[in-house]
Amino acid sequence: MTRVPIEPGYFTVPEDPTDAPRLLGSRCPACGATFFPRRQVCASCLHDGCDDVVLGPTGRLWTWTYVHVPLFAKKNAKVSAYGVGQVDLPEGPRIQALLLGGPGDFEIGMEMILDLETLRTDEDGNDVVIMRFSPLAAPGTQQEDGA
Amino acid sequence: MRIEGAAVAGTGMVRFDRYPDRSGAQLARDAGLLALHDAGINLSDVDEAFVGYIQPAAMIGVKAMKELGLTGLPVTHIENASATGLVAFREAAWAVASGRAEVAMAIAFDKMTDMARNAPSRGSGRDQLDQTILPAAYFALWAQRRMHDHGTRPEHFAAIAAKNWNHGALNPLSHRQPDHTVTVDEVMASQMIAEPLTAMMACPADDGAACAIIASTEWVRRHQPDRRVVRPVSSALQSEAYSPGHTFLGPVVGPATMSRTTAQQAYEEAGLGPEDMDLALCHDAFANEELEYYELLGFCPDGDGERLLEANDTALGGRIPFNTDGGLIARGHPGGPTGLAMVHEVVTQLRGEAGARQVTGARRALAHLVGGGSVCTVNLFEAD
Repeated sequence: MTRVPIEPGYFTVPEDPTDAPRLLGSRCPACGATFFPRRQVCASCLHDGCDDVVLGPTGRLWTWTYVHVPLFAKKNAKVSAYGVGQVDLPEGPRIQALLLGGPGDFEIGMEMILDLETLRTDEDGNDVVIMRFSPLAAPGTQQEDGA
Repeated sequence: MRIEGAAVAGTGMVRFDRYPDRSGAQLARDAGLLALHDAGINLSDVDEAFVGYIQPAAMIGVKAMKELGLTGLPVTHIENASATGLVAFREAAWAVASGRAEVAMAIAFDKMTDMARNAPSRGSGRDQLDQTILPAAYFALWAQRRMHDHGTRPEHFAAIAAKNWNHGALNPLSHRQPDHTVTVDEVMASQMIAEPLTAMMACPADDGAACAIIASTEWVRRHQPDRRVVRPVSSALQSEAYSPGHTFLGPVVGPATMSRTTAQQAYEEAGLGPEDMDLALCHDAFANEELEYYELLGFCPDGDGERLLEANDTALGGRIPFNTDGGLIARGHPGGPTGLAMVHEVVTQLRGEAGARQVTGARRALAHLVGGGSVCTVNLFEAD
């Protein structure tokens, strides 16, 4: 099954599903500030012309919550609860995204890794995927999807 | 900006609630007529109007104005997310203060119940990526970080919510009208939405409209000689200044610094400080926000918000009552009209007409809103 991003230009979709995806960001050649998602004008020094960079896949959890109401835009009725967090990448940007795991799995400061979640199948039979983070050092701890 | 020479001539609002059988334009008409009657005029006396709403439709503001009459007056649409109503007020106040209008109207309406029903399935992949995370989740992220940094407990957030529910019980125009004293335990036991925020810590989804008429101070003194005159004295509006840690994707309602710098600007322009305020209204869409704003709006040092709350200083009867009308949590938050409901409460309090929830001797008030995107506005008012 081919995986396609929910929107091009935000994250890579590796051909090997065991490879971690990367975020598509920007770095300002003038001041070095780094951003996600991509942008042309540097938000820090207003230099016109940021360079494309690839970010991640790991970072530290700045804050998190666990949401107990149905997912707003996801249109996946099976998902009744899910994690949301903000992850600080070592390159600088803070990323707000879905989290994989149950409500007891998250702790501020823990290391997280990016992966992809299938939202639905499109009309061509492709899996439409969205990015999310999950705890990195978590083998053996509960990793249910909250579904 | 400092506002000189403008005063509030009238206010009115339709109680926020669910109105499945009434259009936004009908709600706007009723709020507009209440404000016009309160000012003792009709639309022919209004030189300019600013119409606010955040529901996704074009032209509906100028169409709603036709319910009040077709007089040819200039009409401008205003949209600044949750801050829309106060921003419409700011523009109307500035139209009067600049001298280009003698009487101006700020009016707003929204049907959040329609937006909540229609929103989930719309939008491109980018929109879906941007909208996957709910506002409730965004503010819960803020609450979790607060608990981590300051040892704040969910019971603190519940205490703020209970306070505002109980303030709402004293306001006939509050959406939520509890028939008993709401307790911390009751708020804690309500349905969990986004940890640690429960349903009773969140504003309801509702519909409504509100309106304010602003006129030159001379006009108000001439036409309303027996009334205490309430004047806007400063209005600050800021969008976000970049700082590291800004999240560009997903709901953004601004970092802490935006409310702080916007409040500082409003205080400086008015020549006033938090110590001069008798009451404050803030964006308590979720209860943990109010705790942050105690500090960001300058009413206590950073990290002391919990102490201010525990001393009951922000309840009616306390040193600086917050959200005397029930706030977004109880009075309601349809979107656009929310800020004009705040103006209605400020004017009611500063005129001394707030009945059971009257802040004794209230002379100055602060109204604050943040809006997604993100923006922040802080407006200061003073009575004679």
